[in-house]
Amino acid sequence: MNDSGKNIAIAGNPNSGKTTIFNALTGARQHVGNWPGITVERKEGRFSYKQISYNVIDLPGTYSLASYSIEETIARGYLIDEHPDVVINIVDAANLTRNLFLTTQLIELGIPLIIVLNMMDMATEKGLEIDTETLSILLGAPVVKMVGRTGAGAEELKQAIALAVEKGPVSHDIQIPYPRELEAEIVELTSELARRKIARDRLRWRAVKLLERDKTSTEKIKVRANTSPLLANVDNAIRRIEDIYKDTSRAIISHARYGFIQGALRECVRETNATPFDYSREIDKVLTNKWLGLPVFAGMLWLMFQLTYTIGAYPMDWIDSGVAWLMSALDKILPTGMLSSLIIDGAVGGVGAIAVFLPNIFILFFIIALFEDSGYMARVAFIMDRIMHSIGLHGKAFVPMVMGFGCNVPAIMGTRILESRRDRILSILINPFMSCSARFPVYVLVVGAFFPQQAGTVIFSLYALGIFVAIASGKLFSRTILSGMSRPFVMELPPYQMPTFRSLMLHTGERGIIFIKKMGTVILAGSILIWALGYFPREVQLPKDFTALEIQALDDWKLLSDQIDQRFAESVEIGKELYSSKLTPFEESQGYQILSSQRNSLHTEVSVARDSVIADLHFEQMAETMEQKWIGRLGKTIEPVLAPLGFSWRESVALITGFVAKEIVVSTYGVLFGVGSEATEENVGIIENLRKSGMTPLVALAFLVFTLLYTPCLATIAVIKRETGSWGYTAFSVIYSLILAWLLAFMIYQIGSSLNWLT
Amino acid sequence: MGRKLFGFGFGRRHNRKRRHRLDISGKELFLSDLQAGERVRVVAVGGSEHFRIRLMEMGILIGDIIEVSKYAPLQDPMEIIVKGYHLALRVSDSEKIIVEYLKD
Repeated sequence: MNDSGKNIAIAGNPNSGKTTIFNALTGARQHVGNWPGITVERKEGRFSYKQISYNVIDLPGTYSLASYSIEETIARGYLIDEHPDVVINIVDAANLTRNLFLTTQLIELGIPLIIVLNMMDMATEKGLEIDTETLSILLGAPVVKMVGRTGAGAEELKQAIALAVEKGPVSHDIQIPYPRELEAEIVELTSELARRKIARDRLRWRAVKLLERDKTSTEKIKVRANTSPLLANVDNAIRRIEDIYKDTSRAIISHARYGFIQGALRECVRETNATPFDYSREIDKVLTNKWLGLPVFAGMLWLMFQLTYTIGAYPMDWIDSGVAWLMSALDKILPTGMLSSLIIDGAVGGVGAIAVFLPNIFILFFIIALFEDSGYMARVAFIMDRIMHSIGLHGKAFVPMVMGFGCNVPAIMGTRILESRRDRILSILINPFMSCSARFPVYVLVVGAFFPQQAGTVIFSLYALGIFVAIASGKLFSRTILSGMSRPFVMELPPYQMPTFRSLMLHTGERGIIFIKKMGTVILAGSILIWALGYFPREVQLPKDFTALEIQALDDWKLLSDQIDQRFAESVEIGKELYSSKLTPFEESQGYQILSSQRNSLHTEVSVARDSVIADLHFEQMAETMEQKWIGRLGKTIEPVLAPLGFSWRESVALITGFVAKEIVVSTYGVLFGVGSEATEENVGIIENLRKSGMTPLVALAFLVFTLLYTPCLATIAVIKRETGSWGYTAFSVIYSLILAWLLAFMIYQIGSSLNWLT
Repeated sequence: MGRKLFGFGFGRRHNRKRRHRLDISGKELFLSDLQAGERVRVVAVGGSEHFRIRLMEMGILIGDIIEVSKYAPLQDPMEIIVKGYHLALRVSDSEKIIVEYLKD
């Protein structure tokens, strides 16, 4: 936290427009991160007003300050421990009763409070007239009217903030009234807390929390010495209250809070009998319709991918050629050597390979932001919840699952739409099993070589297997390591809104920049590592002297082409002797032309054959070299582990490089199987060489399954670490997927070979 | 295992014929029994305290009027309208909310 400014926290219900107001205050001067060690987004920003600078923190949206969910714990912990100078409580003016429930708790906390009545336009439409002056007196805090989306009222809010900061800490003289017997217990407990010197401030808040059986508050007291008599008194008090009111103390307290709210609203809200047109309901008649809901959603997803890949293809090409240009330009400037190889092949090549995906990622994030800001995301959760619930997840978790078919990195970042940490971790852990687009070229290559007749079926089965593994793992995790953290599903379906371009850009930008920053560094490190593994050691002992072989081959071909020239000359001699016409010289006759064209075509044939022989030599040399480099040795080292799956050291090397990015598997194969790094799906040579290498269709199948299931790439590992904030879950994800990949590939290979299937 | 793993289907709502739904007088009505478009008043909320408090936090109080807007395409969750805003509830949770029809 910055010392140089005042600290402001924004609190409020989800969908109350907190983020809109946060954006209205701070503009682009904001920073998005995670709360330390946890998977909840932390948004901070700054602004200055009248020479005072303010740090604004956007607390997670909560309906209450109980510590049931991680978001509530964070919000509450921040408000109590960090002593913000002012708390801005954003309240949806169109839904006052529910929104003020949180306010009653903020009042009890005794922090300087400013209440913002947001979405005033909607409230007016609903026929609500709110007397803000009376409301301000009743709640003991300034009340500011705003329309966050248009920014109306932002200036008044800044003024109110400045005023509140100037006045310094104020104590609320507003108390939430509780029923008589409960009030008596609160007063008694308050004085006991003071008498026993357990606390000096927030006595009433603490007393209420203890009586509510609030876990966090009770734990805090429990750990201190000599507090058991107090806790015993609390227990007795709770028993007395519950006996009188025939309900749990917590329910009684919550009811009393609502009683206070309803009392206050009776005095300052007037409802004119306007029944506004519920346009959201009309839209939902189509979007969540019994028959249309699912097809429309499927269409939206299709459109999302379509836009991502078609629009993304253009900037993708530009970046691709930009990277190629940069590589060739650097090649000209830099002297040949280790440094140039490091920069060109390692750094630029490696990062360039990922930079190519940037447009796709930005477009995907933009569409996701569109879904979120418009309110459609809540409807997605609504229509998909039945399916996702069966694997212990919230309906919204479906969207990142589908995004995983594109790329797991943005998909895992996309799990931020989930509010509960448990749900996020669960969907992060199963996401890598959704087969991303980088795995596709590997499938095409291997399937093309071994299953050309059933290519579609095999590839489809791989995608299906990925989904199956994701669902099964989800079930497994939600019943084992992530059990018991689930909570009731009561979700708001907020009214549809036209998203503002500004907030869409902010959402897209902030996530995109995280991707660039974090992934850039990790990918850079990973590419350099793979480069080094393939570059060192410099001196390798090749079984053949390839340079001599090449010279030899060139000489042989030279001889052949000399022979052609010689035969041509001889033929011309014979032709001249037989040539009878004196009108034109022999060189212009038809016979000569035939001979000459025969000679040319022979030359062409020879040079093509020569080039292919030389190329074969080069690639053989590369493969032999690769085998001796560290990467090849590494492959040989892990070969015994992968041998039970039928994999040789070549497959092992390919799988190691696949850790950096799956598409690298294809280019590694290109090098290893002597077709060159330019290998593409259409490349026939690599397919033939793959077949010749001793790989059987069965091994190929095991290899495909392994490729599908093991950790997709370094960027995914990095993003898992980032998003879970835990090396434990990251290691778990990597190890779990490796073991699963190994086991399934092992089963396929062993069962297959014992049945003599596909061998 | 297969059925449990993909434990969802397009069938009728599974809670339609619940054993304990009707008491002897045949009066108890649960939110999950309603059809889309019906309007009721909340009489009592059962289930865990966590659930009851959660409902309160979301603004569903005893005496509030609820309109069932619709069921999701796969019959679960359901959408209700309380005080003008829309909430989604799982059917298994709405089974814990006892309601009554409005008098008129």
